[in-house]
Amino acid sequence: MKVLKVPARTIAVFVLPCLFLYVCLVFIPILVSLYTGLLKWDGLTSATFVGFGNFKNMFFNDPVFWPSVRRTLLYAVASMLEIPLCLGMAILLNRYVKRGNTLVSIYFTPVILSVVIIGQLWKTIYNPASMGGMLNGVLISLGLNSWTHNWLTEPKIAMFALYLVSLWQFFGYHLLIQYTGVQNIPDELYEAAKIDGADGFKADRYITLPLIVPIFKISIVLAFIGSLQAFDLVMVMTAGGPAHATDVISTHMYNSSFMSLKYGYGSAIASFLVVVCLVFTGFINTIFNRIERKFN
Amino acid sequence: MVNRQMKTTFTVALTAAMALSVAACGNSNDNSKNNAAASTAPDSTNSGTATNTTKSDKKVTITFQNIYPDPTTPSYKMVHELKDQYEKEHPNVKIELDTLNTDQQKVKLKTQAASKEVPDITIVNPAAQMKPFVDAGLFAPLNDMLDQNGLKDTYQSGLLDYYSFNGNVYALPDGNNIEVVYYNKDLFAKAGIAKTPTTFEEMLKDVKILKDKGITPLAIGEKDSWTGSFLFMNILLRTNGGPGFLQDVMDGKKTFEDPAFVEAVDAFQQLVQAGAFPDGATSIDANAGGNIFKSGKAAMWVIGSWETGAVDASSVAGKVGAFQFPTVNGKGDPNQFMLAPGSAFAISANSEHLQETKDFLNFFASNLPKKQFELKNAVGLGQKVDGDLKAAGYSDLAITIAGLFNQVKGGDLSFDNTMNPATSQVHLSSIQNLFVQKMDSAAVAKEHQTAFEANK
Repeated sequence: MKVLKVPARTIAVFVLPCLFLYVCLVFIPILVSLYTGLLKWDGLTSATFVGFGNFKNMFFNDPVFWPSVRRTLLYAVASMLEIPLCLGMAILLNRYVKRGNTLVSIYFTPVILSVVIIGQLWKTIYNPASMGGMLNGVLISLGLNSWTHNWLTEPKIAMFALYLVSLWQFFGYHLLIQYTGVQNIPDELYEAAKIDGADGFKADRYITLPLIVPIFKISIVLAFIGSLQAFDLVMVMTAGGPAHATDVISTHMYNSSFMSLKYGYGSAIASFLVVVCLVFTGFINTIFNRIERKFN
Repeated sequence: MVNRQMKTTFTVALTAAMALSVAACGNSNDNSKNNAAASTAPDSTNSGTATNTTKSDKKVTITFQNIYPDPTTPSYKMVHELKDQYEKEHPNVKIELDTLNTDQQKVKLKTQAASKEVPDITIVNPAAQMKPFVDAGLFAPLNDMLDQNGLKDTYQSGLLDYYSFNGNVYALPDGNNIEVVYYNKDLFAKAGIAKTPTTFEEMLKDVKILKDKGITPLAIGEKDSWTGSFLFMNILLRTNGGPGFLQDVMDGKKTFEDPAFVEAVDAFQQLVQAGAFPDGATSIDANAGGNIFKSGKAAMWVIGSWETGAVDASSVAGKVGAFQFPTVNGKGDPNQFMLAPGSAFAISANSEHLQETKDFLNFFASNLPKKQFELKNAVGLGQKVDGDLKAAGYSDLAITIAGLFNQVKGGDLSFDNTMNPATSQVHLSSIQNLFVQKMDSAAVAKEHQTAFEANK
């Protein structure tokens, strides 16, 4: 702080308003949410205090809860597995394509579309052939009739159909981040390496990968948090159906709070979600700190 | 080092912020205060009427949440024409329509209710579905406004009981309907089916014939899960040999594991297995599901008689007939119907312009029957209306349905109008599940019973 050579008062003037808003809009609601998680409350009439009853129900009696946690985590894993792919693509673009920016902008288009539009678009693609579904139509015209499915309504497939849409949408987003990261690595390093005989893949292994780690981490954390919150896409495409087959933590929370009018229980799920986010973010940070240290 | 630490803090903070944007439902409410407000509400509104009857010219905007989004339907026209007329007669009043699909509106209202921000006029469903809102003191009693110009007497006797709690009426229904089976006469003829089914077995047979001809037998939009439940409950009304099953469960006289319930699940699964419903039914929303029938792609549609006007306004107008839901395994009386006292207009107790809103709703409800009659949507009205359907040029379908109304010998309300919301949700998703996989009917019954006991 001393480096800044500014009185603490000045720092406070700039920091406090934001801090105040942050505390009001983030920390207090989290605490309130933790508290309402201890209530049996329909959100409308008076509440009764039930201690950890909601959490007990959630962990031991709710048949929807654990599967929805599993789907959410799988969602996160799938999104994170996408990042290396984006990185690879970014490296290739940077090396072989003259005007990579144009391509990256094109890949970025789905990100600026509203999720509702994306949802409706893919719903139409996934429709049964009898309703003009494009995917099934293509499969049939290729003679692959046995591969056709009701993509969004078969419980075993529906969730994967949703993952795919999400991966498709955010591919361009992470590609952009990685591509910028790759471009920011100074050319001199590659030139020096070339003189030393490290070219192509070898240069990537010893220069690009170590230097891209911080950017890679940003993408991983964003992808992880983004998928824990996955809500809008699921709501638009399946609303958690058929029969909870595509429920994730956030949709389950929403349905419990507003459809079943179990507000307290919904808050308990929300608290769980906050804790999961914090724990996993800490976990990801630790891992990456180790990796960074190793490369340094 | 400092840098790294700050980064970590930042990431953690960011995580919390983002997680919260999902988890943001913390809403501390002082409930005791609200309850107190509820109990004093009737008095204050009564005195309000006395002092506030003088017309003021102050600018007022009334938010009117409604569930009539489809511009091709008569209900949509009715709302818009009445709104325009009222705004013309009262230049100081602006009616702002907040138009949503049924399921979306239900959710939005619950969200708004949790933060005590109910729109001036909103839509609620009768009985069990509106009870939590009334208990929370969110709605203004409408007794004074109903008595003011004889509006109360226009409603069918007993209808307002579904919207009354502790002697106060809290909402005014837009209709009073029954569940019927609409069928497309052309498609029936094409499949060579001469007469409408009177037993469930005949219905299953017809389903198979239609399916073989490549016609979707039954239209449905099961993404909005009430549609499947409404059909299922009609089967239950038959297998139970009459109305009152859910009431008996609530009174502890029966359980969901009763043979009547298991039999109904079995029958419903037969329909699904026979391929009665469109492909991917659980991803089709209710409006789109109805359009399958209204565009002539499906042969039958089991739904409330509120759709009569919309069917007559669609491309299959004139080709559609209606019949009673058949008996199931020889049980039940076809003249017992699933009853659907309509969605109803309620006024927020906290409305800033309570009196103006009441005046508007009074105008709206008084003129609704006449307007609906003009728009050929008078079938299933909850209010008396002068005029002869036939003379006014109503379709044969409308006259058939009006005839069915005269045969009603009692019936049941829908599941979510009878049971509490938590049990209803389990029921709705349990029925939705039957569309996508074959289940053991006894297990379905057990799931219901468990949910019922857990949420008593």
